[in-house]
Amino acid sequence: MSEEKMSLNQKIEELDGQVEWFYSDDFKLEDATSKYKEAVKLAKEIEKDLNELKNEIEILAEDFSK
Amino acid sequence: MKRFEVKMQNSFSPTEFIAVVNQTLEYAYSPVLVTGEVASFKVNQGKWVFFDLKDEESSVSCFMVLWNMRVPLEDGMKVTVRAVPKLTKWGKFSLTVDAVRPVGEGSLKKAYEMLKKKLTAEGLFDPAKKRPLPTDLTRLGVISSTQAAGYADFIKIINARWGGMKVSVAHTQVQGMDAPDQIIKALKYFNERGEVQVIAILRGGGSADDLSCFNDEALVREIAASRIPVITGIGHEVDESLADLAADVRASTPSNAAEMLTHDRAEELAKLERAMNRAKQSLLARVEQARVDNRNKVGNISNSLLTKYVEPMFAANREKISKVLTRIQDELERKATLVRHKQELLVVLNPEKVLRQGYAILSGKISPGSVVKITTLKQDIKAEIKEIYERRENES
Repeated sequence: MSEEKMSLNQKIEELDGQVEWFYSDDFKLEDATSKYKEAVKLAKEIEKDLNELKNEIEILAEDFSK
Repeated sequence: MKRFEVKMQNSFSPTEFIAVVNQTLEYAYSPVLVTGEVASFKVNQGKWVFFDLKDEESSVSCFMVLWNMRVPLEDGMKVTVRAVPKLTKWGKFSLTVDAVRPVGEGSLKKAYEMLKKKLTAEGLFDPAKKRPLPTDLTRLGVISSTQAAGYADFIKIINARWGGMKVSVAHTQVQGMDAPDQIIKALKYFNERGEVQVIAILRGGGSADDLSCFNDEALVREIAASRIPVITGIGHEVDESLADLAADVRASTPSNAAEMLTHDRAEELAKLERAMNRAKQSLLARVEQARVDNRNKVGNISNSLLTKYVEPMFAANREKISKVLTRIQDELERKATLVRHKQELLVVLNPEKVLRQGYAILSGKISPGSVVKITTLKQDIKAEIKEIYERRENES
């Protein structure tokens, strides 16, 4: 899944997975630096989203009284 | 006489007369709300409902189709009906009711309990049917009055807590006789489109009478049948409606619904920081562990490589390797012999050996007047050359 299309919650889940990798049996020292950089990048993106993302509120034009 | 003639000219048949009266009544009283106590309640052929609505002095007959009876009724209950006054073809006056709702604490409670019992028996409130709210909420449907304080609170809280959601709001009445049908239409709207992940039905606090529309049987059934999970945030903590019981999740208030539907921005930022710290600590610990492990690993790897690759290779090429090793050995021995000879020569040529025999070494420019250095076994001597003679070999 590309990060462009990921929701905020999905990004947070993705980051959780990336952090867990450091504690898992899949951990490889040679991949650790790139994985850590990847996690830091995602964390910054999430932080930005958390601070900047707004909700889009739409009042439907439909008339429910008829 | 004249007046009678005029009337004769405008004479109606009974059918015409009833039609004219009904037209007049409809014009004057359509629709009319009447509140009274239910008496002589009965249902005919499972379709038609008849009862009288009375007070201390008067009584009026009421008729309605069972479909429109959205709350249970029984004699003694106080209700408000919305009706059109009519003369029947038998000339009997009655109210044709299209909506009825209980009024007053006792009647509301009675109607609530009766309907709750009925719908519970049908399994509408079965906890096993409840669905959890999605954790990743990006598309939310809201059914509420956009004028209501509860709605404003809800929007304020979701905006403060979270972002990135698309919230579609269906503006409906949330009290009164028309509210249930409008909410039902909004529920159908969201379910037909299937664009939202959750539907939130919201209404702030109010009297039991105000909130009674959320005990409407058709509405409760629609909530229970919704394909999209429903959360209700209706009234205050103490208010419990049948809509709440039918919903997948009940929030105590609209504000509480907002909290249940969204994560908290500040909390997530703190979690984010903790997660990154965890990753960093783990990474550091792993690197340190790897350092410690590496020494042992290198030893283990060497042994295993020897066993796995080197030893079989030796076995297969033993003869060739043996010859190579012999050649290397011969070469090494040849070089060692050369070194030994040079060492012996060096011993012979060692000036120290000559000095020990009593000789001296003269160094420097050999010319009259030059200062030269004379080295004996134990001394370095500086001397000036006075004169130089040719040596005759035979003299020695």
